[in-house]
Amino acid sequence: MLSTPERIAFLLLALVSLLLTAHGVSRLVRAIGRGQGRPRWSLFVRRVVPVSLDILLQRPIFRARPWVSLLHAGIFFAFVFYGLVNILDILEGFTGFTTLHRGGIAGAYNLVADLLSVAALVGMIGLLFRRFGLRPFRFNERVLLLPSVRFGIARDSAIVGGFILLHVGSRWVGQAVRIAESGHSDWSQPTASLVARLFTGWEVETLALASHVTWWLALGLILAFLPYFPYSKHIHLFMAPLNLILREERPLGQLEPPVARDGQLGSERLEQLRWFQILDAYACIMCNRCQDVCPAHGTGRALSPAALEINKRYYLNRNLRAFAGGTSSPPLLEIATSKEAVWACTTCAACVRICPVGNRPMLDLIDIRRALVNQGDPLDPNLQAALESLGRYGNSFGKPARQRARWAKELPFTIKDARKEPVEYLWFVGDFASFDPRMQENTKTVAWLFHTAGLDFGLLYEDERNAGNDVRRVGEEGLFELLVEQNLRAFEKAQFRAIVTTDPHSYNALKNEYAAFGFSVPVYHYTEVLAQLLEDGRLTVRQPLAAAVTYHDPCYLGRYNRITAAPRRILRALGAELREMPRHGENTYCCGAGGGQIWMASDGEERPSEQRIREAVQLGEDLRYFVVACPKDMAMYSDAVKTTGYEGRLVVTDIARLVASAVGFEEAPVFAATEERS
Amino acid sequence: MAQRIAVLVEHLDGEPTDVTYELLGVARRMADEDGAMVDAVLLGSEVRQLSERLPADRVTILDHPSLRYLAPEAAARALAALLADAPPKLTLVPNTSLGMDIAAWVAARLGWPLVSYCRALESRDGQWIATAQLFGGKILADVALGDEPAIIGALAGAFSQDAASPGPPGTIEQVPAPAELEQLRSRVIALERPEAADVDITRAEKIVAVGRGIESKDNLELAEQLAQALGAVLAASRPLVDAGWLPRSRQVGKSGLKVKPKLYVALGISGAPEHLEGMKDAELIIAINKDPKAPIFTVADYGAVADLFEVAEALLERLEG
Amino acid sequence: MTIAVILEQVPDVVEELAIAPSGNELDRDTVTYVLNEYDDHALEEALLLAEASGDEVIAVGIDTTGELDQALYTALAKGAKRAIKLVGDFEETWLSNRATAEILAPILRNLAPRLVLTGVQAPDDLDGQLAPTLAALLGWPHASVVIGTEFSDGRLRARKELWGGMTLLLELEPPAILGIQAARQAPRYVPVSRVRQVMREATIEEIEVELPTQPSVAVERLRLPEEASQAELLTGSAAEIAERMIELLRARGLL
Repeated sequence: MLSTPERIAFLLLALVSLLLTAHGVSRLVRAIGRGQGRPRWSLFVRRVVPVSLDILLQRPIFRARPWVSLLHAGIFFAFVFYGLVNILDILEGFTGFTTLHRGGIAGAYNLVADLLSVAALVGMIGLLFRRFGLRPFRFNERVLLLPSVRFGIARDSAIVGGFILLHVGSRWVGQAVRIAESGHSDWSQPTASLVARLFTGWEVETLALASHVTWWLALGLILAFLPYFPYSKHIHLFMAPLNLILREERPLGQLEPPVARDGQLGSERLEQLRWFQILDAYACIMCNRCQDVCPAHGTGRALSPAALEINKRYYLNRNLRAFAGGTSSPPLLEIATSKEAVWACTTCAACVRICPVGNRPMLDLIDIRRALVNQGDPLDPNLQAALESLGRYGNSFGKPARQRARWAKELPFTIKDARKEPVEYLWFVGDFASFDPRMQENTKTVAWLFHTAGLDFGLLYEDERNAGNDVRRVGEEGLFELLVEQNLRAFEKAQFRAIVTTDPHSYNALKNEYAAFGFSVPVYHYTEVLAQLLEDGRLTVRQPLAAAVTYHDPCYLGRYNRITAAPRRILRALGAELREMPRHGENTYCCGAGGGQIWMASDGEERPSEQRIREAVQLGEDLRYFVVACPKDMAMYSDAVKTTGYEGRLVVTDIARLVASAVGFEEAPVFAATEERS
Repeated sequence: MAQRIAVLVEHLDGEPTDVTYELLGVARRMADEDGAMVDAVLLGSEVRQLSERLPADRVTILDHPSLRYLAPEAAARALAALLADAPPKLTLVPNTSLGMDIAAWVAARLGWPLVSYCRALESRDGQWIATAQLFGGKILADVALGDEPAIIGALAGAFSQDAASPGPPGTIEQVPAPAELEQLRSRVIALERPEAADVDITRAEKIVAVGRGIESKDNLELAEQLAQALGAVLAASRPLVDAGWLPRSRQVGKSGLKVKPKLYVALGISGAPEHLEGMKDAELIIAINKDPKAPIFTVADYGAVADLFEVAEALLERLEG
Repeated sequence: MTIAVILEQVPDVVEELAIAPSGNELDRDTVTYVLNEYDDHALEEALLLAEASGDEVIAVGIDTTGELDQALYTALAKGAKRAIKLVGDFEETWLSNRATAEILAPILRNLAPRLVLTGVQAPDDLDGQLAPTLAALLGWPHASVVIGTEFSDGRLRARKELWGGMTLLLELEPPAILGIQAARQAPRYVPVSRVRQVMREATIEEIEVELPTQPSVAVERLRLPEEASQAELLTGSAAEIAERMIELLRARGLL
C-alpha cells in the first residue's frame, strides 16, 4: 500500500525510534542494575507459564475494583492482540497482503481485532473519564510527593490515554476507510463497517489519502511513543510481567534479609535498594490501589505506599542519565518518602497483596527502617524502651523473664514443662498473651480448653522469648537474631512434635522466618488446633452460640499465611451466625498494632482499629460479637470499641472464650462480658 | 566533754529547710536517750540571724562567702575540717541533693562509717541501729552503729514525726573558716530559679497527679479535665516532666516539690521512693494503678487496682453530667 | 584529653529480690545484674560532651559480678574509645562505695582524665554515693545530681539540681568528678548488630586490682519493708469505683 518514499520514511523513522528507545532502555537496565543483588534468571523458565496464565486471566488486577478491572481487561486483551495486528498492518503497508474481505482464519482475525479495538476504546475512554472526570486520585496532605509528580501523573496519563485512543482509533477508522474504499461492508469487521458508512460518498483519492493517513497515525504513533516508554508508566507492559516472573518464591511472611554493605545494614539511598525494588518503580502503574488498602493512609497519616513508588519513578525519570551512569542519589527520605511515613507502617502487607504488578513498597519501608536503626537515628522513645526491654528481658513489657508464665500458676492444674518432659505440642504463648493482664484471661481459657480436650501440650515457661517478628520489621535485625538464637536454645532443651501458638505474629516468625536458622517443625495457630478438637469431638458444644458475630482476620494469620478457614469452622461448629465485614479473609483490614506500632507512642490520629469497628457495626444492630484471634487485636479492639462509643453494643471477644462458653464449663474463667451484656 | 550529736543545717535564702527541723528533732530524741547534746552545724555566709531559729543545745557557725549556697567542695571541706577538730558521736546530714555531696565526701576524708538513705534510727540494747533503704525501697538494711564517730545520711520526710519547731538555741559559737576555703577549685556561678510558674502546686488544696500509666501526652487532656472537675491542680511524677509533657513546676517528688494537700489523687503512678517523699504527707491519698503491687498503695488511704482511663471517664461522667 | 565514665553492674530492681538465709545479703539466685541506670546517663552525657569537645571517652568498671563485659562492649559500641575492666579476687563480694573508690583512685590518677562521670547513685548505695567519695580520695572538686554539663574555656560548668526546679550553676576546674542524675537527652539506643560487631573487633583492657582492706559498714541484717498500712481497696467496675470515690470526697467536704 505504501509508496516507496513512504516505505523509506517509515524505515528511517523506525530506525531512529528503535535507536532512541534502545538508548532509553539501556539506561533503564543500567539503572535497575545499580540495585543490589541480581535476578535469578532460572526462575524465568519455571515461572513464565504460570505468570502468563495469571496475567491472561487478569487475576492480580481483579483483586480489587471490579469495574475498573473490566475496562482494563478490554484494553489489555486489545493490546496483546494488537501485537499481531501491528505486524500484519506493517505487512499490509509494505506488501500487497491484506486481510480485508477474506474469510476463514483471516476473517476470525478481523473479528477479534474489530471487537477488541472497540473494547480498547471504550476501556480507555472509561479510564480517562475516571481519572480526569471523577478524580479519585488523592494523597493525604502530609504525604511526601516530588514536585514533578502531581502534574506528571496527569500528563503521563493523558499522553498514554491519548496515544491509545489515537493509535487504536486511527487503526479502527483506517479499517473503516478501507472498507469504504472496497465498497461493501466486511462481515468480519462489524463495528468498522458501521463507521465505514460515514465515508460513503467520499472521493476515491480522499479515501486513499485517509487510508494512508490512518496507517501512518496508527503505526507512526507507535514509533513516536516507543522512546517515551522508559519515562512512562506504560512500560508496565513489560516490567510488570518481569517483576512477577522474576520474583523469588518465598512465603509472604519471610522478609528478605537486609542489604549489607561494609558493616551498614539497610537501604538509605535508591542504589542501596535491591534490583527488583528499582524495577518496582518501573512496574508501578500509579493506580493507588496500595494506598487505598493502607491502614496508615486510610487514617490520615503521612504514609502512602503509592507515593513511595511513584516518587522513585519520577526521580528516575528526571535523573536517569546520571543515575544509570553511577551517580549517588539523595537519601530516600528526601526523594521517596518521609521519616514520619516510614514509622507509620504497620507491616500489614495489604499493599503487597493488592499490587497487580507485584510491587512491594512495604519492603522499601522496612529497609529504610533497617538503615535508620543501624545508624543510630533517634527512635521514638517508647519504641526504644521496648527494644531495650526485649534485649534485656526477652519481652517488651519490662518484666523479668521469670514472670512470663505467672499466669499459669493461677490455673487449678499444672501445665507440663516441655523442658523437663516430652510433649506433643509446645505452646508458644507470646508476649502479650503472657504479660498483659487483660489477655491473660484469654490465655488461661485456651489452657483450659487444651487441658479439657486432653491435648498433650507444654510450655517453655521462662525460657520463651519474644519470637522477634515485629523486632525484625522495626529494622532491628541484630536483636531479631539474638531472640531467635535464644528461642532456638530453648527449643533444643525441650522435646516436642509441633508448635501451637496463640499469637499470629509469633506464628509467622516461627513458621516462615525461623527456617533460615535451621528450625523446621510444624507450626499451628490455636484456631487450627481448636477447630480440629471440635471436629474430632474432643470438645463438644453443649450450648450453641445463637448470636450474630463477625470475625476479624489477623493480618499475620489471614493475609500473610492464608489461614482463614479454621476460625470460621470453629464459629460454624459453635452455631454462630457469621456475618462477614467487607474487608475479610486475605483482604482483611489491619488493626494498626503491627510493625512495632503497638510499642510506639500514639500520635493522636484516628486508629485503623476504630475504623474497623465502624465497619463492623454496619453489619447490623443485632451484631453481638466482634471475634478476634490475636492478643494484639484484642488489645486494640477493646480500646477501639470504647473510643468509638460502641462499648455497650458490640462485645470484643477472643474466639477461645466463645468456645469455652459454648462448651459449657462452669469452672472455666467466667465470661464476664456476656453476663454484663445480658 | 558531753557527747555530741551534730546536725548539718540545710538552708537557702536565709531559711532552714524542713528536713533540718526533722533532723534537729530526731537528734533531740537521740541526745535525750544518750544524755548527749545537740549541736547544729551551720555553714553559710552571713547566717548569724538564721541561728536564732535553730532549736539545738548549741549552734556552731562557720561563716565564709564560699558557703553561701552550701556548694559541694566548700561545704564538704568546711564540715570535714570542723568535725575533725572535735568529732561528734553522730553527725546527721540530710540525704538531699546538697547533703549527698557533703556526707560521702566527709566520711571518705575522715575515714568514718556512713549510712545513707537512712529512714529510721532506733535504739536497741544501748546501740543505735540505722535503717537504710536500698534497691528502690525494696530492701531495708539495718546497720549497728558502734562507738566510733559515724555519719548518717537521713532521708527527708522519714523523720517528720520527730520534727522540732523553730526556736532559739542554747548557745551560739563561731569557728574560724579553714584556710583551704581560700583555695577552692570550684564555685557557684548562679542559683537558677525556675520561671514564675502559672501554678504553685505546693499551695493547692487538691491535686490530681499523673504518672507513666497515662501512657501518652494526649491523655493529659483527660487528666486535666478531671482535675478541673474536682477543683484540683494537675501535677506529675518525674518521668512525665523529664519527657517534657508538663513543666517542672508541676513535678512532685524529691527533686521536685513537696506537697501536703487535702486531697491527692495519684493516677498511674507506681510510687517510687523519690515520688513518695514528695506527697506521702497529704491528708487523703487515693491511688489508681493497674499493678496491685505498686508501692503507691503503701502510702495511699484508698486505692483501686483498675484502668485509670476507665475510672477517670466514670468520674468525669458523674461530676460533669 | 579524656573523660572517664565509671560503670557498675547492680541488681535489677525490676526483679523481686529475696534475702539469703544468712540474713545479711541478697539471695543471689533471685538476682540478675544490669547496668546502673544512672551510669547509663553518665555515659550518655560523657559521649555528648566528647562529641562537642573532641575528648575520648574511657569506660571503666570493676567486675564483681562477672557480667561487666556486656556493659563495656555496649559503651564501646556507643562511641567510647577504650574500655577498662578491673578484675580481682572479688568472687561475688559486695563492694561498698568506699572500697570501690579505694580501688578506682589510683587507676584514675594514672589515666588522668580531665573529667570523671558516674551515676549520681546506685540501688546498693549503703555508704553514700560514689562521686563524692572518689572526690574526697582524689582531692578533686565534685558535684552530684547533675543534669547538664558544658566545657567552657577549659573549665567545666555543671548544673546541679536542688529542688522545686531550682538549680545551682557551678564552675569546676578540671580534673573534676560529677555524679550524673540525667543526661541532656535519653541514653542513645545502640543496635544489637553494632554491639556484636564491637565484640568481634574490639578488646577490653584488663587490669588486676587488689581488694582493699577498708572498714566498711557492717550490715547486721537485711529485711523486707513491713507491709505498712496498705490502702483500703475499692473494688468493682470503674463506675462503682468512681461512685465510691465521690462518696468519700463528699463525706470529707472535698466536693
